[in-house]
Amino acid sequence: MAIDRRSLLLGTLAFVGTGPIGKAFASATHHDVAYVATARRSSGDFCIVLLKADGSIVREIALSARGHDVAYHRPSGRVVVFARRPGTFAVAFELGRNTPPHIFTGGEGRHYYGHGGFSQDGRLLYASENDIAGERGVIGIYDVGRGYRKIGEHSSYGIGPHEIMLLADGKTIAVGNGGIDTVPDAWRAKLNLETMQPSLVFVDAESGKLIANHAMTGEFKSLSVRHVTQDKAGLIWFGGQWEGSPSETPQLVGSAGPDRELRLVDAPGGGKDLRGYIGAMAVSNDGRFIAASAPKAGHVLYVDSESGKVVGKSTLKDVCGISSEGKQDFAASSGFGVIRYETAMASTISEHQLQDIAFDNHLRRIA
Amino acid sequence: MKQSLSALIAIFVSIAMASGSAAAEPPTHLAMAQAAIETYVIPHIDALKAAAVPLPAAVDNVCKSGSPEAQTALEKAFANVVVAYAGVDFLRFGPMLEKGRREQISFWPDPRGFVARQLRLILLNKNENVAEPGMLAKQSAAVQGLPALEVLIHDKDVPLGPTEPARFRCLFAHAIAENIVRLTSEVADGWEKPGGWRDKMLHPGPDNDTYKSGSESAVEIVKALLVGLSLTGDLQLKPQVDHKIRLTPPYAKSGLQKAFYAASVAGLHQLYNSLRLEDYLKPDLAWMKGWAQGTWRTIQSTDGVGGRSPEAKRPDTPSTREVFDRMNGLRNIVANRLSVAAGLTVGFNELDGD
Repeated sequence: MAIDRRSLLLGTLAFVGTGPIGKAFASATHHDVAYVATARRSSGDFCIVLLKADGSIVREIALSARGHDVAYHRPSGRVVVFARRPGTFAVAFELGRNTPPHIFTGGEGRHYYGHGGFSQDGRLLYASENDIAGERGVIGIYDVGRGYRKIGEHSSYGIGPHEIMLLADGKTIAVGNGGIDTVPDAWRAKLNLETMQPSLVFVDAESGKLIANHAMTGEFKSLSVRHVTQDKAGLIWFGGQWEGSPSETPQLVGSAGPDRELRLVDAPGGGKDLRGYIGAMAVSNDGRFIAASAPKAGHVLYVDSESGKVVGKSTLKDVCGISSEGKQDFAASSGFGVIRYETAMASTISEHQLQDIAFDNHLRRIA
Repeated sequence: MKQSLSALIAIFVSIAMASGSAAAEPPTHLAMAQAAIETYVIPHIDALKAAAVPLPAAVDNVCKSGSPEAQTALEKAFANVVVAYAGVDFLRFGPMLEKGRREQISFWPDPRGFVARQLRLILLNKNENVAEPGMLAKQSAAVQGLPALEVLIHDKDVPLGPTEPARFRCLFAHAIAENIVRLTSEVADGWEKPGGWRDKMLHPGPDNDTYKSGSESAVEIVKALLVGLSLTGDLQLKPQVDHKIRLTPPYAKSGLQKAFYAASVAGLHQLYNSLRLEDYLKPDLAWMKGWAQGTWRTIQSTDGVGGRSPEAKRPDTPSTREVFDRMNGLRNIVANRLSVAAGLTVGFNELDGD
């Protein structure tokens, strides 16, 4: 509760749907903000938190339901937070301007999967969505300048697109198609586990044409591809979630490119040691080290993208949010309110414990 | 007067001391897991297995005689399995998770109508090989278990019986019934065999590939309780609170949605009691115990579809909205207060990530 009151003083804007706007919203300076994350208060309320590097909260924005990941466009300071599957709202705001949050949706018959990203020029926003009636995944395209108006869709070439990422070339979107069908009426129930067809695909951002499709088949057909990041060589690294028999859990982290086949990392202990579940992926600022968080196991796995070998594995209960820090280090956040800085060799640099807050799945670096 | 007041105070003091001294020592985490497994999980898994056994014969009787008595007996046998299943639906780990057994036993929710779609194809093709022993396990989970059998039992157009139109349906219904017996037996075996899931949970340690400590075993049970509260709230109650949601209740064709709800919440309450989480509460948080008891009373005073439960202990009938809100509140209390008081850390992300 103390945090709640302090946040109010610092400039909290509470809204549910399109509630009234408070003057205090932009009172905090955006230069202080190092990270944006979604979170839950001990009261059970959900929110967006803007954090300083020391973990202290600069600003808090209340949400009517659980959020998921954060899209950020650095040059403009635009931020969009997406609802968690099968939520239907997205919240946009600007770090440096005194403008209230703007709420938009994917339209009738669509729900979000919690992820999205801006085009390099910041004019477009892409979001992973479900065409509920069509039983297919789509990439929603929004015109940022026109109030995030939806202007089109590309196919995701699979069911259940989760994290999507515009690659460094500015032209290609990598999509982790989880393969899992969801219908909001059945809330978060996974409806097609036995027939799921996960894949990592590459889509032309402009035309929507399929560039490459790495389908999970055979013994990997139940490996739901969820989260992606890109290394300095341009390869996409993905983290999966195993939906098959726990006794058959395969490796969960791998890499692929539009022109390179899919390879799995040979992590000691295998996917079982990570409880079959990767919750988030990140790359170091220099593009060399890959981090994969495993909240069910309470580990972060670090991989050197040059060798493809695991170089570190840290332990932090309920860790999930992961983001780059400095040149080769990382920041990790947990459901128990911990922000920890650590190296890719899994050495702790510093740790900050916040009270009354559970960080949600993703942590986005801003500064 | 003074004397009687003193006597009254003495009585109150002695009651207070008695209740104080009777306050149970909180169980260890391993003891919590053991109590939950021995008093709840194993008996309910066994009950499901036992309930399934008469199902194939009940199908056969209807198919041979077509009599109303045999039909009634089949419906009763089916209801017994559904009710028994409701008590373990939320144990979504271990043997139930392995090989997709849960979906195969009870493919619900089914907002896409997979059961009807897949079953229609099978009934159209009438491929008798599908009904051969072991072959059904290769078909879609949607046609392997209780929901598909329910459709066949209640199809008024082609009822099960000794008629030519029903011949293939009877073969297929028998195959489903046998498959349910197999699946429930495998689940029980997976728990109870030497080195099975019970042993795995009760012998945690560094060499155990799943549970490194008694706390991890206890957390698994607490997570199952939380999953059960979520499933019951979100899938059984929420559609009645939010009328935009269109979701057929579980086993509605058989009129078993009330029985399913009653068995779900009775099971969750039993599992909750077996854990004795409240024993860890410090005196300043003791109000939670009363609140939780009141909430369980509320949850079990409704029939789950807006009416009153025959077992209701509340004098009034709570609205579905109140029950839904209370269930969410209970989930929060268990996840964020009671389990914390007990030293069990149920992670926000590990519990329900994406």
